[in-house]
Amino acid sequence: MSSTETGADAEAGAQPDRRREDWADKMADALGEGCLEHHIIPGSDLWVRVTRDSWTGAATAARDRLGCAFFDWLSAIDWLPSPYGRDMDAQEDNPEPRAAGATEQGYAGGETRFQMVMRLYSVTDHLGITIKADLPDGDLSIDTLIPIFAGANWHEREAWEMFGIRFNGHPDLRNIYLPGEFEGNPLRKDFPLLARRVKPWPGIVDVELFPGEEDS
Amino acid sequence: MGLVASGKAPKPLTKLLNLSRKYSIWMYQWGLACCAIEMGAVIGSPRYDVMRLGVIPFPASPRQADLVVISGTVTDKMVPSILRLYEQMPDPKYVISMGSCANCGGPYWDSYSVTKGIDQIIPVDVYVPGCPPRPEALLEGIVLLQERIGNEDPAVRWKGGPIVVD
Amino acid sequence: MTASGTDQRQQLAYVAAQAADARLNVEIETEGMTLNIGPQHPATHGTLRLVARLDGEQVVEAEPIMGYMHRGYEKLAEVRTYPQITTLINRIDWLGSFANEVPFILAAEKLMEVEAPPRAQWIRTALFELSRIANITLFLGDMAVQLGAVTPVFMAFRDREFVLNQIEAATGGRFHPNFDRIGGLKDDLPRGWIEDTKQAMEKMRNFCDEFEELVLGNEIFQARCRGIGIVPPEVGLAYGLSGANVRASGVDWDLRRDGQEALAYDQIDWRVWTHPDGDSFARYWVRLQETREATHMVDQLLDGLPPGPIMAKVPRIIKVPGGEAYAATENPLGEMGYYIVSKGDLVPFRVKIRSASFSNMSITPWLLKGVYVPDIITILASLYFILGDIDR
Repeated sequence: MSSTETGADAEAGAQPDRRREDWADKMADALGEGCLEHHIIPGSDLWVRVTRDSWTGAATAARDRLGCAFFDWLSAIDWLPSPYGRDMDAQEDNPEPRAAGATEQGYAGGETRFQMVMRLYSVTDHLGITIKADLPDGDLSIDTLIPIFAGANWHEREAWEMFGIRFNGHPDLRNIYLPGEFEGNPLRKDFPLLARRVKPWPGIVDVELFPGEEDS
Repeated sequence: MGLVASGKAPKPLTKLLNLSRKYSIWMYQWGLACCAIEMGAVIGSPRYDVMRLGVIPFPASPRQADLVVISGTVTDKMVPSILRLYEQMPDPKYVISMGSCANCGGPYWDSYSVTKGIDQIIPVDVYVPGCPPRPEALLEGIVLLQERIGNEDPAVRWKGGPIVVD
Repeated sequence: MTASGTDQRQQLAYVAAQAADARLNVEIETEGMTLNIGPQHPATHGTLRLVARLDGEQVVEAEPIMGYMHRGYEKLAEVRTYPQITTLINRIDWLGSFANEVPFILAAEKLMEVEAPPRAQWIRTALFELSRIANITLFLGDMAVQLGAVTPVFMAFRDREFVLNQIEAATGGRFHPNFDRIGGLKDDLPRGWIEDTKQAMEKMRNFCDEFEELVLGNEIFQARCRGIGIVPPEVGLAYGLSGANVRASGVDWDLRRDGQEALAYDQIDWRVWTHPDGDSFARYWVRLQETREATHMVDQLLDGLPPGPIMAKVPRIIKVPGGEAYAATENPLGEMGYYIVSKGDLVPFRVKIRSASFSNMSITPWLLKGVYVPDIITILASLYFILGDIDR
């Protein structure tokens, strides 16, 4: 992009930034104590972290106060560093568990291993919001969003299957992709990809340096 | 077909039989993923047009088919259906495995849900490599299969066993 | 023996009586039955399985069963480097492969704070629209064949080749180009490509005109589509429907115009098509108009192609700095987005793939309630899904 366009982008970026701050304020206003933290990247995105109890309240507030009628997606993140090394190619069967507390969460913080993420979007304002909520380690459950957004049904089934998170009030919580007898929750970081454990892939670094070239 | 099944058919008769078999293959298409679209191009597109090779697509059911083309990614959830399909086909039956996924798992070699190669479940006659193979590649695979049919001894294929139906 | 024989006779008599009554009962009450379509059925184009409980010819309850194409993309992305992931995600929506790469690359570029040079953005946009044409063309033929008109699908396969040829000429890949790179593109356009593409676009415009008369103007097609599967806009949005599916319900929202991704859409002249009806006919109509619009967009993009480099300066070994980013674009099927969580490694920490068909299909249990069996096919076809895009 040329410099003038970059300037125009920066100006355009500055304007939704005020709008995003306004959105964050509205969310904090609606949820009170339930709204823990927020993070804004100007001109790009907005993250809000809420408590587990305010999860459905946050969805309602985003829909009614911010006009986010579009249910984009819902999922979870497992913040545990992979016990199998960076790329799952570790060879030993019992790799040393990383030190507790080494977990670091992303934007808007977090305290526990599992974090719910949901994204809502306003088709009139053309802005999106990413809402997060921590799940306590001992009790992986959260209220369902189906009464607010009907489309959450399949997304929650997916999260149940992939992470083992239970959704209170979900009418039909069973596997959506995998056969019924499948064991484990594939997207958890401690779920091993057995094919890789048996035979590591040499292609993890796919760029070989030319002779005389410096690593940049 | 007692004569053929017992392997006592005279050579000229075998030749004639093979000739007629190889140019009248009923092809059942088991389209699963990207390869299914290329197989669709082979069947549906006037540019490739599989029928000029004497292959007839769209049989009403696998029980009328001589050939099944497994094209695309086979998942563990899909395997029972494929096995059932294969058991329903009458002898002699042929299988073409189309695309890297059906051959060996392809780009999903390390996935937790993909079957690493359809040959773990059913015998495969021709493997067509590619991801996805071009339509020409599938045509080449069919020509290779026809060569194979033309040169084989029908008695080996013609086991004459009953069609298994669940 | 005799006792069981008597039982059998009694049972037979009962069945016969039932059969005699059936003619009377048919107007009043019918036995329910369960209809299983799939997992491999031409009507579901792909490996979708649909289980419908019927009352007579009316659907009481229908449920799609997915997962026959689940390949575990989100897990596999965690063990592959960023350039390797583009190879994989080509195969999510296999009809419009190039369009799958773009949002992922944009999200990674957002994290790396790299911006592709303008020429790369323009070529990206042009290829994006070409893959949209290649994708929707097949829908236009496929929906017709599912409603009983066989000719259009052959025509679609024939004319689609013109676009695939152009994609192949530029990228080397007929189906899965894998042409997009973080910071730009793999290569510049080959010589003579622009003229050839313009000719192909002319042919595609003819194709659209032909289909407008042949399919949309067909009375049988209209009778089977008008008023079938109406999606109210607010319901569609709550289910996460996007793309032409909500635009056909009158929602004026297109990420190409309204999104914040740095593609060249804001520098050309085009319009967003909407239709107020929200039925199957409207969805077909909107997609047909969008295909024609896309051909005009490609023409404009190729005319105004800025000179310059096609690759920004990026390191040879790509390590994406830590952070989170979401980028979404208006793909042929609807909104497709990638939420990347990076921890500064060669591989992403977590990739959430928001694929359009998954959300588009989630409305089917609601939409199929109470319709007749032939309308199942119309509705499924008009919602337009690709199995790889549902199951990932």
